[in-house]
Amino acid sequence: MRDLKHLIYFEDLLQEANNDLVRKGKEDGNLCLGYTCYFMPEVLLDLPGCFSVRLRAPKCTSPDMASYYMSGRTCHYGRSLLERALEGGYNFIDAQLATETCTVTCRFQEHLGYMDDVINNSTFKTEFTDVPFKKNENSIDHYRKQLKLHVLDFLEREYGVDTSDEAILKAIEINNEVNDIITEIGNFRKLDNPTITGYEFSVITLVSMVCPKYLIVDKLRETLEELRTREPDDKPNYKIKVLLAGSENDDPDFIKLIEGCGALVVADRYCYGSLEARNHINIEEGDDPLTAVAKHYLLTSQCARFMEQKEMRNRKKVIADYAKEYKADGIIVASNKFCEYWSYERMIDTIILPRDYGFPVCSIEKEYINTASGQLRTRFQAFVESVELKKIQEVK
Amino acid sequence: MKKPDLKKLKEVDFKKAAKDFVYGKPHGERRLGDLYIPKTGLYKHREWRGIKDTMYYFNNIWLYNYGMIVRDLMVYGGGPKGAIQFLKGTWRYRWMGQTYLTVMHWFDRNLEGMRGEALRGSAWHFRGITSACLLQITGWFNRDLNIGGDAALRAKTIGHDETLWGGIFYPYTDQGIENIPLQMIPYFVTCHCNNHTVLNYIDASQAYGLPGDPCPMCQAEAGIFIEDDVPDSYVALITTNEACDGSVGTSVIQDWMINKPLFAMPQPMQFDDDSVLENCAKEIEGAWRFTEEQLGVEFHWDELVKRLEQQNELQRFEWEKWDVAANTNNYPINGVAQALYRIFQSQYGDRPLWHDVDKRVKKIMDKCVEEKINTFPMTRHRVIAWSCAPLYYSAWCTWAYNCWGLNTIINMDSLMFDMEIRTDSYENCLLDMAKYHEWAPMRRMAVGGLQHIFELWENMEKFNCDMVMMYDQLQCKGMQGVVGLFEDEFRARNIHAIWMPHALPDKRTVPRSQIRQIINDYMFTVMGEEPLDPSLLDFDDIDSW
Amino acid sequence: MKRKAKKKRTVGRFIKKTLRLGVLAYAGLFCVFYYDLDGKLLYYVVEPFLKNHFDNMERRDPTTVPYEQIDSEYM
Repeated sequence: MRDLKHLIYFEDLLQEANNDLVRKGKEDGNLCLGYTCYFMPEVLLDLPGCFSVRLRAPKCTSPDMASYYMSGRTCHYGRSLLERALEGGYNFIDAQLATETCTVTCRFQEHLGYMDDVINNSTFKTEFTDVPFKKNENSIDHYRKQLKLHVLDFLEREYGVDTSDEAILKAIEINNEVNDIITEIGNFRKLDNPTITGYEFSVITLVSMVCPKYLIVDKLRETLEELRTREPDDKPNYKIKVLLAGSENDDPDFIKLIEGCGALVVADRYCYGSLEARNHINIEEGDDPLTAVAKHYLLTSQCARFMEQKEMRNRKKVIADYAKEYKADGIIVASNKFCEYWSYERMIDTIILPRDYGFPVCSIEKEYINTASGQLRTRFQAFVESVELKKIQEVK
Repeated sequence: MKKPDLKKLKEVDFKKAAKDFVYGKPHGERRLGDLYIPKTGLYKHREWRGIKDTMYYFNNIWLYNYGMIVRDLMVYGGGPKGAIQFLKGTWRYRWMGQTYLTVMHWFDRNLEGMRGEALRGSAWHFRGITSACLLQITGWFNRDLNIGGDAALRAKTIGHDETLWGGIFYPYTDQGIENIPLQMIPYFVTCHCNNHTVLNYIDASQAYGLPGDPCPMCQAEAGIFIEDDVPDSYVALITTNEACDGSVGTSVIQDWMINKPLFAMPQPMQFDDDSVLENCAKEIEGAWRFTEEQLGVEFHWDELVKRLEQQNELQRFEWEKWDVAANTNNYPINGVAQALYRIFQSQYGDRPLWHDVDKRVKKIMDKCVEEKINTFPMTRHRVIAWSCAPLYYSAWCTWAYNCWGLNTIINMDSLMFDMEIRTDSYENCLLDMAKYHEWAPMRRMAVGGLQHIFELWENMEKFNCDMVMMYDQLQCKGMQGVVGLFEDEFRARNIHAIWMPHALPDKRTVPRSQIRQIINDYMFTVMGEEPLDPSLLDFDDIDSW
Repeated sequence: MKRKAKKKRTVGRFIKKTLRLGVLAYAGLFCVFYYDLDGKLLYYVVEPFLKNHFDNMERRDPTTVPYEQIDSEYM
């Protein structure tokens, strides 16, 4: 396939958290608001005069200082974020909008609030929002109140941000524009012979999360136009198509590793992936914009922390449905080492998805940065071979 | 026949020997470690504590408790039928058959070296826990369809996560319903009583693909369901997110294995924020509606008030105990009895047996205070134990006092649930119940912000402690995520803190001997002290219960 | 009179015998307690026997447990 025009530019933007566009966004006089979790609605951090940055710690392979603070027995992602913060890599953030949605990222964000000098920025503050574990009326109501209190009121009180309904509507508009573009780009993965690779799509999705949207949207649109006419290779250079599910992954090189083994990643149902994160935000009749936001982020999420029985059981079906929709031949379930939620979710997915939905599953545990992992490569190669064999047998 | 060695006989100080026989050897001369049979933790012979305390131990602890176990089985089990169910359950469930028969050794380990009122006060706590266990065990077995239990009783029973406070079910207790904490007996207490059993459950989880790094407590909890080692004694269940991400993860496995109607009653994490109370209160109401739907019962406000008032009475006595522990040296309860009784009682909820135990303990405590009895006379350091404790070595407190004079005054889990519940109106009551639940064990200090975990400093001061036993649960992400800040704070505040690594129920990760070695090293090298009982410094109890 | 005295003697003997048995039982139990014979019996005999029983018990295959939606109005 022809190279995407902006791919190298996008890749460059992912090399560091404080990238060119973030710097430009700050130069334009905007507040830069950090967050880590989908449950902190990025749309509310993209209010006029602000922009959101979902924190990453690219290329952090050895979080030594953070391991002193958080030991070597916690999630590598959380530790890498703290390492980057201790190195001064997040001094550009004006506030961290935090959630206690998984233990280690929570502890990372608590360090930002507790250690006086970790973020060298005089305006910096950390504010926590409580996020419910259910999707019932009570939870939506609670979540809405929390977002009002700990996001909108906080931003208005501490930074004078306009948090009116009009401002939220504006933020929804720009977010929806990005969401729709990414969704459309993502739809090319549903083709029998997709015209975009999983790696390319992961880079595109990630830049939309870590750059001011108003500065990246044009390039995303151009990429979408480019993809409309992009021709696939005559002979596909992959052997099977897979859905990748699991815990946090903001490392496109991990996708590259999978694709290097012959498995094209056509769907991304994981933390920092596009599935659900880039759904269009709808405002139902009678709902104010904040209620719409609360409903959207709570109801679309397929996070493993939801505890209602129907949610626990349904999310396996959701993965299977995505796999079917994106014509995946198999599913890779990847959990980060020390991730409690996904350790359990992966265990049950590995049994239920093949048994009840007929999808072969490759179940792996990974680190935050994995490029050098020969072991993983062997696992993926073996999985690709086994699925390929199965396909050949089915044809026979 | 061998001739008596007269030379040696002459060296014996008969007066001293007679005194030791009558009063027991004083602390410092005891050599308790010599009593152990290597590896097993068994005794060559049980300790001679002087005539009075030995006979008290024999009559009022050993014989009495064996007798009371039989009595509890008959009374709670409802007569001979209950006894038959008990035997069937013992044969069917590993956690019962392989674990609880060794209960008196649990008493022994925790009461080693103790004398006088401290022995009596602490033993009553263990009697209370044992009785509460039997109440639950008979409750399980009488209703268990796996062993021919009563289906009608089962239809009136709801299971729930052990970390869900039993008080949620107070409004229904006058309608013949029973609530059974799902993991308390098959998992939690087993680790204390006989830690061999739990290893099977951890291994079972890993055999089906769970990695080795999640909290081993949650792994074990999932394992008992994977092993199909939980009685079928309930029609539905209520789960909670307490205490951590792992508990949420376990719920997924439990739900699958149990495959019954489930209501999730999660608690908010950021509990300092009063705005979360309403959400929590509504979830409690949801749990009530679910219970009513599943068990066909009605909400009885008067019953709720009655039980909460009784529970408040337990809480007030707990405060009285803390006051004595904090401000005097007359507190007759050792560190492990304090911790286990409090966590069990407050989590399980109000039951008549707790009041009975408290009455007896109060009598002992009042006597100690009035007569100014120094209950732990060889105390060198007053210790506060922080974070979550090693379940397979909860008896470390007893060992540490005997060996080093480290007297554990209070521990973090005791300080949870630190409130009375208002019963003046439905609204106040509900909000307080919500708050109470948010302040549950392993949670009150561990979530909702670092400020809570650092309440250690004020509690150190409140309980007049000069040393911290800092539990270092190697697989607890919440606590591992804050180790560096603790180190910094300990240094800045010049506090003597011993980090005690462990893996909650799994003794294979950090054996008990290694825990003792870490304490020994600190006491020798940092504190520059000598042991009170050198025989306890190093002994092999690798295969003991 | 003789019969009464005989009866008295029998009762006395019975009480003595019971007391003796009681003392013996009490002393026996004390020995069990003091020499930790209960612990030794459980450790060397009962636990290995039960462990063997539980290790060889037939158990349900957990992977066969169904995983479908369950309905309740309040879940």
